[in-house]
Amino acid sequence: MKLRLAVFVAGASLLAAIPALAHHSFSAEFDGHKPVRLVGALTKVEWTNPHSYFYLDVKDDKGNVVNWGCEAGGPLALSRAGMKRGDLKIGDTIVVDGYLAKDGSHLIDARRVTLPDGRNVYGGSPGDGGPSDTSAAASKK
Amino acid sequence: MTILQICQWLNDSPLGTSIRESDFSFALIETTHVLGITLMAGTVAILDLRLLGLMLRQDEVSDVAGQVLPLTVAGFVLMVISGSLLFWSEAAKMYLNPAFRFKLVLMLAAGLNPLIFHRTVYRKVASWDLAQPTPAAAKTAAVVSLALWTGIIVSGRAIAYFH
Repeated sequence: MKLRLAVFVAGASLLAAIPALAHHSFSAEFDGHKPVRLVGALTKVEWTNPHSYFYLDVKDDKGNVVNWGCEAGGPLALSRAGMKRGDLKIGDTIVVDGYLAKDGSHLIDARRVTLPDGRNVYGGSPGDGGPSDTSAAASKK
Repeated sequence: MTILQICQWLNDSPLGTSIRESDFSFALIETTHVLGITLMAGTVAILDLRLLGLMLRQDEVSDVAGQVLPLTVAGFVLMVISGSLLFWSEAAKMYLNPAFRFKLVLMLAAGLNPLIFHRTVYRKVASWDLAQPTPAAAKTAAVVSLALWTGIIVSGRAIAYFH
């Protein structure tokens, strides 16, 4: 019986550690210790499930233009956060605050997106366990 | 037309695009897919555990198989329809996804396993319906089935972690 209880407790805590609704967790791909701010012109928008992607042309320190991908929540998550499809227009300059990919690629997790009209929107996937994930904080209380 | 081109065409079709860009459909289809797998793999596991002699030992194997079958079929239908729609919406990405490819191979094997089982040891089930222990071939089929379904679920989940 003790073994059964131990297995149950281990299983339950594993389940509790899986953030609900997230397609994959923040930490599977991104490093919460490497925050980054990208400012650049939009070159492509993928308003798609299970994650949306924005692509920006960003100038680095040496003046070279590098195209960066920003992974964000799916269409429903972004709509609920206050960004509508069509708010992002090719050529617009936007600011994306996020975290670098662990593999060093030109991909970040978009936590906050600042639109040209000044709106600042939460861009992360709800419940992915990443930094400033309000839904996870709320559910753990 | 290559397979990749066919996948790209599915991907870019009106249905694929509408699911991919939807607010609710994708999540609903995904949820249905998980519930379909639960029903299918769960009822398959009941028969497998009976074949291993780990549960329902007092019930005839053929009786357990008969009771489980309609539920397994229902789960299979839900799983295949929802899975096809999910694939449709991300076909070009899935074609290149190693976890998805691995899952396809496992699904093929999981489909062959019951075909072999039904054409061999299960044909004479009347002679071992209540036998303890069950024949080694039946136990083998059960272990293979449990392993394959576990692998399908794990590799299905792993699709999200490859780009």
